[in-house]
Amino acid sequence: MKASQFFRSAPALLLAVTLSAQPSFEGPAPVVTSVPAEDQRLAAYHARVDEVLQWRAGRVDLNDIPGTMDMASISILLTLGRDIEACNERVLQMMAEPGTGPFWMFPAVCVAFTGRELLSPEARASIREAWRTTRQLRGDTENHWVMYYASLYLMSELYPNEPAETWYTGRSSEENLAEAREWLIHWMDTTTTVGQGEFNTTHYIGEYAIPMLFMATWAKDPAMKLRGRMMLDWMFAELATVSLNGVLRGPNARSDEGSVIERWNALASYFSWLLFGNTPPPSGYGGWGLYFAPVAKNYVLPEVIHRIAVERDGDYVQRDRARTRRFWRYSDVLSPPVYKTNYLRHDYAVGSTQGIVNDVIQAHVWDVTWREEDPRGKHPTMFSLHPHSSGRMMQAQFATYPEPMPVGVTFEGKPSYDSPDKVLGGSPYEKVFQDLDTVIALYDIAPGERFEHINGFFSKDLRDVTEDASGWIFARGGNAFLAYRPLAPYHWIPYLHYNGGWATVRDDLGGRVLTSPHLKNGTIVQAAGADEFESFEAFKAAMRALPLEFTLEPVPSVRFTTLRGKNVAFTYGEAPVVDGVPVDYSKWKLFEGPYLNAEVGGRKLTVTHGRLQRVLDFNTLTVKDSVRE
Amino acid sequence: MMKTLSRTLLPLLLLGALPAGAAPAHDLYLFGAVNITGRVIGSRDVAKNGVYVRTAEGGFTHRGINYPAMLGGAFDPRDARVFHVAAICGVLTTADGGLTWRIGTSWDMTEPKAVAVDPNAPDMVYAALPDGLGVSTDRGHSWSRRENGLPARGKYTQVVTVDRTAAGRVFAGSETGIYLTEDAAQNWRRVFPVVDTVTDIRQSPHDPKHWLAVSQSAGALESRDGGLTWAPIAGITGRRALYSVAFDPTRAGRIAIASWSLGLLTSEDDGATWAFRNEGLPEKHQVWRTAVDPDNGRLYAAIDSGALFGSDDFGRTWQSLGMEDSRIQNLVFVPRARR
Repeated sequence: MKASQFFRSAPALLLAVTLSAQPSFEGPAPVVTSVPAEDQRLAAYHARVDEVLQWRAGRVDLNDIPGTMDMASISILLTLGRDIEACNERVLQMMAEPGTGPFWMFPAVCVAFTGRELLSPEARASIREAWRTTRQLRGDTENHWVMYYASLYLMSELYPNEPAETWYTGRSSEENLAEAREWLIHWMDTTTTVGQGEFNTTHYIGEYAIPMLFMATWAKDPAMKLRGRMMLDWMFAELATVSLNGVLRGPNARSDEGSVIERWNALASYFSWLLFGNTPPPSGYGGWGLYFAPVAKNYVLPEVIHRIAVERDGDYVQRDRARTRRFWRYSDVLSPPVYKTNYLRHDYAVGSTQGIVNDVIQAHVWDVTWREEDPRGKHPTMFSLHPHSSGRMMQAQFATYPEPMPVGVTFEGKPSYDSPDKVLGGSPYEKVFQDLDTVIALYDIAPGERFEHINGFFSKDLRDVTEDASGWIFARGGNAFLAYRPLAPYHWIPYLHYNGGWATVRDDLGGRVLTSPHLKNGTIVQAAGADEFESFEAFKAAMRALPLEFTLEPVPSVRFTTLRGKNVAFTYGEAPVVDGVPVDYSKWKLFEGPYLNAEVGGRKLTVTHGRLQRVLDFNTLTVKDSVRE
Repeated sequence: MMKTLSRTLLPLLLLGALPAGAAPAHDLYLFGAVNITGRVIGSRDVAKNGVYVRTAEGGFTHRGINYPAMLGGAFDPRDARVFHVAAICGVLTTADGGLTWRIGTSWDMTEPKAVAVDPNAPDMVYAALPDGLGVSTDRGHSWSRRENGLPARGKYTQVVTVDRTAAGRVFAGSETGIYLTEDAAQNWRRVFPVVDTVTDIRQSPHDPKHWLAVSQSAGALESRDGGLTWAPIAGITGRRALYSVAFDPTRAGRIAIASWSLGLLTSEDDGATWAFRNEGLPEKHQVWRTAVDPDNGRLYAAIDSGALFGSDDFGRTWQSLGMEDSRIQNLVFVPRARR
């Protein structure tokens, strides 16, 4: 297996450590099909937490404190009650040069709270002093703000009644606390009424889960403490629902070059491993995962969520609503709605978003992914996209000028943004429709756009790829049969991979990109289970027999009878029609499916598995568990 | 860091101080960041960012906090130690010349792009916001929105500029046009429409009725009637975005425009003809900001991810003034009498 980059896309505030002796990362992939009894479930969870703590603590070399101790390891040592003098020494060193921004703030909070009764007065004072002297940036995205305000909230509670001049904000403890509390509640209100902006993220889930765990653990205000716990339930319920075998599937508001291909290799998998135990953790426990571990035992995953993750009753569709990143410009709505469809089966999953671009740089809009018993190093995914790059879209979602950012962002952790063969990012010229395991993606690219073609990703792990005379490209992925229909001529180029946000060279990991240099374009993908057909040839024959009509002029338009017998008509820019009935997205609920249900505007999520149910009600700040007789 | 600062300041020392003559009547403040390449939220800052002040020797010295995302400042005419800065977190205000700061805005105002003080009512401070307009009536301590007359959407505001001749008369440059208020932002009306953002608005130091604006796609605009009507300046197309515009306070008729794509353009006949003045600037002459020194007419060009350049012949020749790998967001000349 290729060792993956420890610090993925996040600023290198952590120290590099030797990647060795990570039992669950290096050991066999777990096979989990049921949830054990409560005591065993908890014991197994604690064992996984301890694995993280022991691994990171074991990497500390007291003869090289600056080189082996970061704020994660300090927090872990404090949690374990070990090497306190070394922690004191390192805290004093680190607080002499504090960072600036939320990625520094929440680690500092972790040290402050795990060490509040163990660190020396000098070390604690140095942390406090850093929050006076060093200006902290709030950032410009949703996850930045969650980290920023959760951190400011907790530090203001830890140091109450302190005057304005003792804080970098120039505001008193009470003013800081009030502002942080107000925004956190505003964010929770927004998330629980119209959805999260950074939904189903492969990596940023940590930037939400860790601050919420801190709130759930350390907030003095019982209401804020409970809110933190409820948000953890909310996010992990969603992770459970859209993962298969512990691997996050389908669309992501934000992903990165690694996770969009090697789907397992994401911080989300750390949480699946830690909470559900059903996939290996990523290398180094995902980096930021080290900050969840010291406090993880203060959170107990509800059984109903655990069961959703590992005990599936059968195939299911989950339809949800979310919202885009803020549109500062060029939109009638600040955060337009996004409609998500995820169809999960035993051997594969199909997922997509419909609607406007949710993140111009890092959105992953749709894919078909298949189950790999050991997902490490595998690229179990198929999708297409328009590689969009423009100053205008940057200006829409960022407070920036038109020219610098498309290129500049490639040096800021998003290396592929301006690459013509990229496989990540949203485009205003892509419209997607999904019905069960059929996806139709249509493209109508404006002439003169930077890239006037579309890319389709064909994994190294596909088998029996066949360019059929019918126009379909057939392939097998795991136990799934796949059919990919390009709507315009194409050619193949190698897939070249950016291994991490700061990569400057590209690796040939295998795989190809189907590139189709036509402005009006489209892709149809149909998936099926291998066990549904006598043979791969039978699947091909069935696909060839399906009625398909399409045109690319004046705009791409498809009429297709899916393998599931649905008559689908989809024209670029128009509402899709299924069996004669237009799809009305405006009626979609916040969550709708067998496991998660919530009304738009409701502030209430019902989580259901079998006879178990948990209702998270942010209107009343209540959590209600029930069991059906 | 010492190496970085030395590299930044050394050219200034070599260049010498300001052109010969009397001591400058203005202090020059720079707002911006250095060592910006590859910087993201959370990066460790290896250089000082935020406020730089010109020294007596002609160099620049960092002032106060290290803050990499300051976009522009506006000074209280009564006391130059009091100034306000548009920063990524909101509007910051200092009362001691930049040593200590207070965030005046709350979470509902973020990423202001510019800030302006009304010289005739200096308790009034205006902030250009990505989603509208913020106003403080108490010297930046508290803020509220005053957006009556602005559209519900389409009010991304890049710049706000106060008319020095009339209290409460303010222009806002937004994504849908130039907006004017004459009652301290109680009411706004659009005086010129655009389809992309207006990026800068400046009042002539020679004729208060003469205004210039530049924009992302509507080129350069001019008003001769105090901003009531505007018209495009011939010869400056809107095919490339223009980022900032400056009058030369020392000589009427001299104007400079900065463009990331085009470089620096100047006119010495009040906008009748224009010339590119990129010779002597880096090959990538992506000019982020321009300004003219009111003491001596020195023309400045701040190169994006590059250095600050100065020209004592209005762009015909250039000299690097240091500040390599910087993004200088604003150059502000403050009368020393306000100290």
